[in-house]
Amino acid sequence: MGREFLEGNEAIARGAMKAECDFFAGYPITPASSILHYMLQLAPQIGGVAIQAEDEIASMGLCIAAAMAGRRAMTATSGPGISLYSESVGLAQIGETPMVIVNVQRQGPATGSATKGAEGDIQFTRWVTSGGLPIIALSPATVGESYELTYRAFNLAEQYRSPVFLLTSKEIGVTRESVDLDEIELPPLARRKLVEPGKTYLPHAFEHSKDVPAFSEFGGDHVARFTTSTHDQAGYLTSKPGVVQEMIDHYAAKIDTAADDMALVKEDRQDGAKTVIISYGITSRSAAVAVEQARSRGLKVSSLVLQTLWPTPERAVLSALDGVTRAVVPEMNMGQYLLEIERLAPPGVEVVGVNKMDTALISPAEILQAVEP
Amino acid sequence: MTADVVATEKLRCDALLRPGNTNCAGCGMSIGLQWMDHALEGEKPYMVIPACCGIVTAGAFPTSGYGVPIAASTFASAPAVATGVANINELNGDTSPVICWTGDGGTYDIGMATLSAAAERNEDLIYICYDNEIYGNTGGQRSSATPEGVVTSTTKQGKGEGKKDMMAIMAGHRIPYAATLSVAHREDFLRKVRTARQTSGFRFLLMLSPCPTGWKSEPDESVELIRSAVCSGLFPLYEVFDGVRYRINEQPDDTPVSEYISHQRRYTKVSAEATSLEAFIKQQWHYLNGMATAFPADKAT
Repeated sequence: MGREFLEGNEAIARGAMKAECDFFAGYPITPASSILHYMLQLAPQIGGVAIQAEDEIASMGLCIAAAMAGRRAMTATSGPGISLYSESVGLAQIGETPMVIVNVQRQGPATGSATKGAEGDIQFTRWVTSGGLPIIALSPATVGESYELTYRAFNLAEQYRSPVFLLTSKEIGVTRESVDLDEIELPPLARRKLVEPGKTYLPHAFEHSKDVPAFSEFGGDHVARFTTSTHDQAGYLTSKPGVVQEMIDHYAAKIDTAADDMALVKEDRQDGAKTVIISYGITSRSAAVAVEQARSRGLKVSSLVLQTLWPTPERAVLSALDGVTRAVVPEMNMGQYLLEIERLAPPGVEVVGVNKMDTALISPAEILQAVEP
Repeated sequence: MTADVVATEKLRCDALLRPGNTNCAGCGMSIGLQWMDHALEGEKPYMVIPACCGIVTAGAFPTSGYGVPIAASTFASAPAVATGVANINELNGDTSPVICWTGDGGTYDIGMATLSAAAERNEDLIYICYDNEIYGNTGGQRSSATPEGVVTSTTKQGKGEGKKDMMAIMAGHRIPYAATLSVAHREDFLRKVRTARQTSGFRFLLMLSPCPTGWKSEPDESVELIRSAVCSGLFPLYEVFDGVRYRINEQPDDTPVSEYISHQRRYTKVSAEATSLEAFIKQQWHYLNGMATAFPADKAT
């Protein structure tokens, strides 16, 4: 295609198509609506289906059903929509449903400023539904990364039979940048593991807790059971404590034990630096400028940009915190990922947030102030 | 004379929809809100508005604001929030009307469950849908109020499905009063709002609301568009009492429906769509005339 002038939301749709997404359902909401528009155009081109649902609850229901019928499904919304997705995300977790959920974050809570950006849904995503089980979330910082991480989100969804969030924001979603999507390196396309022909099928079968169960679609060769209630490996309802705990441990283990494999980070380490800036999303672009300016002034500063937010890329964070005395965490919220960095920081590392949620971007100058107070 | 001027100016200051709002030129909502205000003759309602143009185009201090108490609700919950207001008003002995002012997305689609529930409980509130047949606030996507054939940002080839019959759905709830409103028929509009005001229980008013931005029409033609929608028979003016007694307020004349659709660029295949709408109009009037004859509002049953 060569270089194109794309907005982040279009790059998400293109990334989904590259990942062979053949089912999309969404409900209009600023600033995510254009993903629905693009998918309505693009999905039919590969024999896929895109539907405008009557509300967000329906969007999730449509996607869960399509995914369980073997499709590669995606939906997109913004903060108020995620609130309505909440119950269904739990359903996708307990049903081990592979699907991608895009959140083009906007200023909240509630309607907030519908046309202004924020990064206010970071912990909301982590604890998005009842039960508190681990969740997977990726966060792009550019239009190109919107494409790449959407593609990778599908891979993770398929590999781990799990809903996967893409946490972008209004600033990335509706900003245009020049990008050549073909130049972006992508891993091979992952597909969910299917039950072997002739084998007995249990919808949630695992030998070891962390195993990802093989899949058989609705309407396929097996009777596929899918339930919102606690169930055993066969998908039969149960409330036997031992069995229920075994299943809960399984949902958690398949994600937690794979945290290192899912960790996507960009590290820019400077030898001798006593300060590291840990950032993600649109704010990481201000952080990059802040790092450049700090260095030009002779300051030593390292940077860690997180593309995987959940599960926390702990090894990468711990490595970045090794040897520093100060970690600066800028976010367009009131200090959400800061909690993770504080949790991981060894004694002697001061963790400092740069926080605001006033609809404006965090500037490099504001980050620099925290680097060199 | 001076006293009159002062009174007029005072009324303007106290308007329900104050000057300075950012409604698009030619928006039916602006007319609807003002006429509703006139019909209430100085009485101040409590208003509940969910996500829709009406909750963002007015209300940004200091440029504009509603001149009445107003609560924004989540998209799906306006009738539930209004129910809360109405119930507390009753406890407080406050007889001011409670009005839900919502778009078609909040009525026909996402808000359908709470609307149905409030109607089923016959809550004491007036529900007005300003139906512009589109998600005007989020970029012009189709709703289930969008007519067949119409091009929207999510139906580039024209919508394949027809419009939901919201009046029939509400009549099916056997609510005390349901009526359609036209911004080209002021006397009829005012009378119906007053009838709704004087009725207790759940009252539903459906207003076809021109949207030049979404309809790709000229703002100065908005009122004439609605007149041709009524006169061609596409948008009938009628009332339904207790869900079973019908009164037709205006019979169509010989205005062709093409006059309505040819002035809107959201209709792209005008002649084909006119043919299909003519069939729809015929069927609609067959039903309405039948109901009004068999179950007339003006004869005690």
